[in-house]
Amino acid sequence: MMRAVGSTLSRVDVVDKVAGVAQYPGDIDLPGQLWMKVVFAGIPHAQINALNVDRARAAPGVVAVLTAADVPVNEYGLIIPDQPVLCGPGSTPTAAHVRWEADQIALVVAATKAQAEAAAQLIEVDYTPLPVITDPLAALAPDAPRIHANLPDNVLYSYRIRRGHMESAFAQADVIVESEYRTHAQEHAYLQPEAGLAFVRDDGRIEVIIAGQWMHEDRQQIAHALGLPEEQIVVRYPAIGGAFGGREDMSLQIVLALAAWKTGRPIKTIWSREESIVGHHKRHPFIFKAKWGATKAGKVVAAQMDVISDAGGYMYTSNKVLGNALVACLGPYDIPNVHVDARTVLTNNCPGGAFRGFGGPQGHFAAEMQMTKLAAALGMDPVELRLQNVLRDGALLPTQSVVPPGCTAAETLEEAARRGGWMQSADGRWQRAAHAPSIQSAAGPQASARQTSLDASRRRIATGVGIAVCYKNVGFSLGFPEHCYAKVELYGEAEIEKAVVSCLGADVGQGAHTAFLQIAADALNLPPERIELQVEHTDITGSSGSASASRLTFMAGHAIQGAAAGALQEWQHEERPARCEFVFHPRPTTMYDPETGVADPSVTYGYCAQYAEVAVDLDTGHVEVTRLVSVNDVGKAINPQLVEGQIEGAAAQAIGWTLLENFIQKDGRTLTPHLSNYLIPGVLDIADVIEPVILEIPDPQGPLGLRGMAEMPMIPTAPAIAAAIHNATGIWIDQLPIVPERMWTALQAQNGA
Amino acid sequence: MYPPKFDYYRANSIDEAFALMGQLGDAKLLAGGHSLIPALKLRLAAPSALIDIGRIGELKGISRNGSTATIGALTTHATVAAASDLPAALTEAAGWIGDPQVRNRGTVGGNIAHADPASDLPTVLTALGATMNMRGLNGARSVSADDFFIDLFMTALGEDEILTSVDVPVDGAGTAYAKLFNPASRYAIVGVAAKVSVSGGQCTSARVALGGLTPSAVRAPSVEAALVGKALTADNIAAAAAQVGGDLDDVMGDIHASEEYRRAMAPIYVQRAVSKAAERAG
Ligand SMILES: Cc1cc2nc3c(=O)[nH]c(=O)nc-3n(C[C@H](O)[C@H](O)[C@H](O)COP(=O)(O)OP(=O)(O)OC[C@H]3O[C@@H](n4cnc5c(N)ncnc54)[C@H](O)[C@@H]3O)c2cc1C
Repeated sequence: MMRAVGSTLSRVDVVDKVAGVAQYPGDIDLPGQLWMKVVFAGIPHAQINALNVDRARAAPGVVAVLTAADVPVNEYGLIIPDQPVLCGPGSTPTAAHVRWEADQIALVVAATKAQAEAAAQLIEVDYTPLPVITDPLAALAPDAPRIHANLPDNVLYSYRIRRGHMESAFAQADVIVESEYRTHAQEHAYLQPEAGLAFVRDDGRIEVIIAGQWMHEDRQQIAHALGLPEEQIVVRYPAIGGAFGGREDMSLQIVLALAAWKTGRPIKTIWSREESIVGHHKRHPFIFKAKWGATKAGKVVAAQMDVISDAGGYMYTSNKVLGNALVACLGPYDIPNVHVDARTVLTNNCPGGAFRGFGGPQGHFAAEMQMTKLAAALGMDPVELRLQNVLRDGALLPTQSVVPPGCTAAETLEEAARRGGWMQSADGRWQRAAHAPSIQSAAGPQASARQTSLDASRRRIATGVGIAVCYKNVGFSLGFPEHCYAKVELYGEAEIEKAVVSCLGADVGQGAHTAFLQIAADALNLPPERIELQVEHTDITGSSGSASASRLTFMAGHAIQGAAAGALQEWQHEERPARCEFVFHPRPTTMYDPETGVADPSVTYGYCAQYAEVAVDLDTGHVEVTRLVSVNDVGKAINPQLVEGQIEGAAAQAIGWTLLENFIQKDGRTLTPHLSNYLIPGVLDIADVIEPVILEIPDPQGPLGLRGMAEMPMIPTAPAIAAAIHNATGIWIDQLPIVPERMWTALQAQNGA
Repeated sequence: MYPPKFDYYRANSIDEAFALMGQLGDAKLLAGGHSLIPALKLRLAAPSALIDIGRIGELKGISRNGSTATIGALTTHATVAAASDLPAALTEAAGWIGDPQVRNRGTVGGNIAHADPASDLPTVLTALGATMNMRGLNGARSVSADDFFIDLFMTALGEDEILTSVDVPVDGAGTAYAKLFNPASRYAIVGVAAKVSVSGGQCTSARVALGGLTPSAVRAPSVEAALVGKALTADNIAAAAAQVGGDLDDVMGDIHASEEYRRAMAPIYVQRAVSKAAERAG
């Protein structure tokens, strides 16, 4: 029989999605449903003195208006419950404090959407506005207003690394590079804005139908806020229209359940694009102050980093993202002397939270820019410098634990370099025929076919190339009790006629369910047609953990293999049906030591290197990526087409973040709540050529040798593009996004100098 | 977002449209709907009724009379983009409006009646020296493009008038349009249209207009003056383009591009448009 793993099996959901049959939460209706309008504070920092909902309650069609006083346990949060479900008086002492413009203050439930929206206008709020903090550096000032009363310095969390001796290391360095880097917020911009339903079932339990990333965590948080046992809640995920981390923290789960519980009626809501963009978290903005030193021989001897991220008003996953950035900002390198101070700081901006790469893109932008600058300062080839310092099997991480075996940073980098025109000379050193930055004043063969501005033919264009490499943890890290459930049931008599495979990992569009099927088919030695997947709701089996941290195929793969082996054993013992529920636990990890950062932080890592070619319009500052090679070691491609889809999608999202996407807030208010002013790349904005390259060097810990891979190709893009811009123009751009005006301003400064 | 409630009427002729306009209070004409409907959704307008003129056949199509092309107000951008005997500046501008949906629904008349500062056609029609033809209950009148675009979303078109067509001179001059655009909408951040005639190696006439960066499309008289009488060499064009700053009083800035950046882009796009127009002037 043909192996399912490694084949390009069609996605299990493809026909329904292409035919428009698949049901996303917004497509579902329940008999007798009411519409819920979620009311945002609309003010970024204030005390709510009073909230008068009498007129709204009396408005036509209104069934209920719920406020803070109606929430049994008015707090939630993925990491710590520091966010009120509804802000307002009549609840906990901290709930009347609005810290973000999209803090939710009331739920208006009415017969129709129009009635709910009209009634929402009638709510009267008496606010005392508080000073708005939008700059994390200002939030650190001793006299800055407090955003949470229990955090006097607005520092939400901090980590540090102390390894080696900085002073002597810098004394040893022949070159030292110091820079400050800034990265910006990014909106997930998934196709499906937040939507969902909730109702009280015949068995008296509350069912929430929603698109999320981790059903069991949603269930736990809903139960907590409603003061109900978890068994009282069922969470169901129908088709999910993208997530990218944006559904890891909750927006509607609790409030839908609350409204259904309080009214006894089915409740539905769909957020508009504006509500979605204003109402959920963003990729954290970061500031890095970097000082790195290297010797003439090409050894990076010291790296000192001061790291600040903007958490916004609440924790979300800020401490976890900071924990990732703590090591990501040093790159995949073996640096003997390291000193990092990292803090995540409260402001009144939109909260920072999970987004594909989870601190990796931000940290690596700083690290890889430092490496490119060191290479330039040393007059060394940037690939050669990286290869002389890159982590290899047996090396110590900055946390002083050995990198998990199967470290392939060097292999991915070498492959990207080869494809970018580098060669290894007889003495083993890597070099590329120096790219002579070329300036063309007429349409030459290299002028892009695509046009960022009408009339490409008159542009003065400079072209350049750049390269970068990264690593990213697979799985929850830092001591989190990581685990994943799967269940297999085998039906038949003499032979297995049907297998039912249950695993609740969310298919957010990445194709997880198809990968589950392929892994199960091979583990059971059955054709995929004979396997039925059960993946929809929390009653089916235990938690699979979230669709995040590039962990799902890795963890679920192990769990499905374990359940399959157990069920086959039962089958041998003549059990009919034969059943096995299996929980996979990867090797444990540990938290950073608070003084030194010593830890065994992550189960394992995935690796990606990218080579970029850019064209810079010297008159307007437009930067186009003309070619992007993305080399990913995925260990084993369960479904090569899905893997390529992840690589290409990440390239688009990363190019968007680097060059185009500019989430702007002023005084705590979002100025870009529409897709007409928050610019995501269309097909013409991405790159003329994206080359996805799959390496399959097995991870010894991975099921079938696979590695998590979906975040890694998001990470090296920004520093590869910035390196290429430097190669083209001689200008270092240390702040993202590199929108035309920023590039043009830098070109002006260069001309003036 | 959904638009506020409105009543919908369809006019099958210009006369029917006038009758409805007389009958209904704060009604708005609906052509392709690609400016009006977004404005309703954003709550920038809330008329009680829309009068759909989109199916009035007599307002559609392009005709030619000697050296004048007449474009019906309801002619779509797609039709203009595909036309073979219109000035190149106009067809290339129409071809770069929005996306295929916008070009298939949006109309020339709607575009200029709306007079969005970021629209392309006001700029192009100003450079081409076009004339707008309109009709009211008291008869027809015509206004030159130079006098038609008054300010942000403001034109010479009266409340009770319908724009019926646009006359565009087709006289063999070289024309071109170049723009720096918002990548999401393709609306102009800086748009420049140029029309030049060349004789005996020298520029004999020049019309240059800019849009996107000013509240309404404006001519660039200093640039035009600097071009006339010169050979259209790269250096001469660059020198003329450098004059453009003096022609721009009121430059807007927003989150997509600051005033300073727009000002800096103006001469670059003037240069690009004029060079291409000069090439086409032969
Ligand atoms: C996504 C998107 C991208 C776009 N990109 C661009 C772009 O790149 N460049 C560009 O120039 N434009 C762009 N547009 C605007 C587009 O060109 C519109 O179609 C055009 O501006 C309006 O034409 P319409 O027929 O749709 O007019 P409508 O929206 O129907 O009407 C607009 C206004 O004009 C009035 N009106 C319409 N016809 C007449 C008439 N005959 N007489 C009197 N008044 C009339 C209406 O009452 C209304 O006030 C874009 C629009 C969208 C939605």
